[in-house]
Amino acid sequence: MSPPTIVSVREERPRRRWSVRSAPLELRMLGLALVIAIALSLLSPYFLKTNNLLNLLDQSVVVGIVAIGMTFVILIGGIDLSVGSLAGLTGVVLGLSLHQFPIPVAVAFAVLAGAGIGVVSGFLIAYFDLAAFVITLGVMAIGRSLAYIFSGQTSISDIPAGLNDLVYTTVLGVQTNVLTLLALYALAWLYLTFTKGGRTIYAVGSNREAARIAGLNVLFYSVLPYVVSGALSAVAATLMSAQILSIDPLAGTGLELDAIAAVVIGGASLYGGRGTIIGTLIGVFIMVMIRNGLNLLGVSPFWQGSAIGAIIIAAVLAERLLSPRSRR
Amino acid sequence: MQRRATINAAQDLLLDAHEICKSFAQTRALSDASLRLRAGATHALLGANGAGKSTLSRVISGHIRRDGGEISYRGRPLAARSPREALDAGIAMVMQETSLAPDLSVLENIFLPELRKPGRLSRTAMRRRASEILADLGQEHSLSLDAEAGDLSAAQRQLVEIAKALVVNASLIIFDEPTASLSPSEVERLFDVITRLKQADCAIVFVSHRLEEVFVVSDEITVMREGRTVAASRPTSSLNQTELVRLMVGRDIGTIYASAAIRSASRGPPVLSVSHLSAPPTVRDVSFDLHRGEVLGLGGLVGAGRSETVETLFGLRARAGGEVWLDGRPFAPRGPAQAIRAGVGFVAEDRRRQSIAPDLSVRENLLLGHLGAHRGFGLGYSRLDEKVRTLMARLELPAERLADSNLLNFSGGMQQKIVIARWLLLEPKVLILDEPTKGVDIGTRASIYAVLRDIAATGAAILVISSEFEELLGLADRVVVMSDGASIADAPSTVLNEEKLTLLAAPRSSMERNRRLLQELASEQDGAAFWAILDAERVFCLNAATVNAKADPGLKAGDAPHFDETPLGLALRACAPDFVTDPRSGLRCLLVDVKSHRGHELGTIGLVIDADQPTPPATSIRAAIIERFRGTV
Repeated sequence: MSPPTIVSVREERPRRRWSVRSAPLELRMLGLALVIAIALSLLSPYFLKTNNLLNLLDQSVVVGIVAIGMTFVILIGGIDLSVGSLAGLTGVVLGLSLHQFPIPVAVAFAVLAGAGIGVVSGFLIAYFDLAAFVITLGVMAIGRSLAYIFSGQTSISDIPAGLNDLVYTTVLGVQTNVLTLLALYALAWLYLTFTKGGRTIYAVGSNREAARIAGLNVLFYSVLPYVVSGALSAVAATLMSAQILSIDPLAGTGLELDAIAAVVIGGASLYGGRGTIIGTLIGVFIMVMIRNGLNLLGVSPFWQGSAIGAIIIAAVLAERLLSPRSRR
Repeated sequence: MQRRATINAAQDLLLDAHEICKSFAQTRALSDASLRLRAGATHALLGANGAGKSTLSRVISGHIRRDGGEISYRGRPLAARSPREALDAGIAMVMQETSLAPDLSVLENIFLPELRKPGRLSRTAMRRRASEILADLGQEHSLSLDAEAGDLSAAQRQLVEIAKALVVNASLIIFDEPTASLSPSEVERLFDVITRLKQADCAIVFVSHRLEEVFVVSDEITVMREGRTVAASRPTSSLNQTELVRLMVGRDIGTIYASAAIRSASRGPPVLSVSHLSAPPTVRDVSFDLHRGEVLGLGGLVGAGRSETVETLFGLRARAGGEVWLDGRPFAPRGPAQAIRAGVGFVAEDRRRQSIAPDLSVRENLLLGHLGAHRGFGLGYSRLDEKVRTLMARLELPAERLADSNLLNFSGGMQQKIVIARWLLLEPKVLILDEPTKGVDIGTRASIYAVLRDIAATGAAILVISSEFEELLGLADRVVVMSDGASIADAPSTVLNEEKLTLLAAPRSSMERNRRLLQELASEQDGAAFWAILDAERVFCLNAATVNAKADPGLKAGDAPHFDETPLGLALRACAPDFVTDPRSGLRCLLVDVKSHRGHELGTIGLVIDADQPTPPATSIRAAIIERFRGTV
């Protein structure tokens, strides 16, 4: 049997010239973060002070941890609006548990509560193919209302002072809450880059149907991000409570918007499949730096929303215009 | 100067498009396309997959905007920026992928372009007009104006799509593969309509893959290849099929199918055995066996339920009934993961939607099937590096392109090779491919065919779906034909040809009338009747009806027995104009060749009566059969 004639196929290779477009997303975002940092240090003499820098890290912890879960959710093409109210609710769960249980058990309860709610919303969204926006909006309302009911509409303040150690123990001069943040980012990065689960999350977000046909467990990995997101909301709530030794049912209000903003500034696509955990970390820093800078410059807090909003819009627009895949 | 010289010839020129270019992202779809159309003429637009026929059609009809080039229409420049502007200018297009609104009725869909006009619509007038058009298409009884478009079969949707273009009284109508899902009799009716439109001075563009149709219906032919026009407005009568194919592919096509190795007579037990599989609404009753080392083709018209059948086998659709065995064990995967682990691979039809994850690198796309089959926490990528390299070489793909970040930058052929490689990496026992060469250039096709042959030779079993009958016959050892959700024939590809496949694949809904006529004929003569194609030594039964069990010739639709295996051997061989009695069975049989009113051969009608009856007068029955079956198959 003679082999059939084969015509070689010409294929135009894309050019390999370096440009802003061809640079990895994280590098572009890192560049943006540096530009902002330099601008702020020129505008305010206090910006580069060690104290202020440590302050920046401290302020990044809560939104940064929630943004990890949000990255997972956005990578599969979903959205989680309930993280703020879950932080409130799991905080209350923590506070009530602390009345009866030692700290580690109480923290475990809070994290399990967050994860459990994530299982429910994730399952509703993935199994019944419901809109993530709507389901998590519902969970958001339920979460906040339960937080009020369980707390008896007041803040819980009789918290063992030992909880403080979760934040203020220092290792090599760095606070444990900042270390927790960095450790969680490292874990998330390793998971998303080097494990079957992580790559499956990217594949599901990029093309759910293709992932299903390739035999990936689409249902499981569509639920998992909501579980991670719920659990990390509880971790964030714990660190928040530990810092101020008081738990308010209103805690975490608006956290979802900051987390989504950080992920989007970090270059993730709301359609799923695109985005990185390092990009998100940079996005968090950019957000916190701008808040911090505006405070240092004495800009009215009422203007801060406009500034953050403008930056979100600019980031998304820049990504669309620079992306090699844009269909302009 | 040259334009001046052609001005006389251009007197009756309706549309003149030249130097049209169009790119989608990195792909150049049209680079120097031209098309000249005359009023009152049917113009066939031909080319291989991806040659740019559809793109050019859609540029002219305003569905997409051109990047460059000029179009003049009725002597003036045309720049239709939307289908609406083109419609206003009198240009309508029948889309290949139907664009009906599934929740609207047939009537509303037909008049969808009218809905934008201001003022009230007269529903009565609309109904009258729509009924007229459906009558022209021969669908007045079978297609209700009030049915929801979403409930229609693929053939009916296509007919509504055609009606939609007819209702606007366009002066230029582009038909983009209008016959892909139609039965032969529906195609005939469409050609009648086209002839009438032509007489009304309408210009027609007819895009089709079926060359025999092109010769029947067209006056002129334009051939495209790789985005440019390579033969412009040649009179159809000046060309023959071989020349056309050469123009389309740029060389002779005879060599691209790797010839099947000589098959041993004993094939052993089947690897995959499917029996009475059903998954409503599209899959109703499918049975076939697939053996080791075999390439089995699954043929049929668009909408026959082929894709749905293999999706059910792969666990993508819920099964309602029937049994499937894989290697002798019951096989009922609840999802693709189970099917893959059992050794089945599936190259889906729609590459962009079902196979490619655009955000993953080319390498990860290739390894996606592995990721699905892989058990464990890590990735297990690096262990496969060597295997991936070997595969890339075997598929003639440059290994360094694995690192590319976007598979969508590859040509259709290279994308398909990567998707095929994804499954070859898993060394499946059964590999299912749904339209594996859709949008794949001819050179890459050849190497895909060769690879499929290779892996079949190493013992894999391959199931291929293709709407191109020529490809099916060239590639497959055996073909199972499906029609309206049921497998109706199973024959070695050597005994089939495109004509038989076309008749076999006709939708069962279109066969209803034929079955009724056979039934009538059989009961009038108290015997049995069948419709078949006869070749030198085999009878291909397309349909059959038996009233008197004693006269039953034992034929049923899809059977292809040797003459001597039937009780009618002598009659089938004799080709006599009269009843012939078979000496062994005593059955008497009259064979009548039928033709459509356009003169197309539509096979043979057979009437069988048993030995006890008196022989009826052959001449009058013959005339009655010819009259009755004209144009109804």
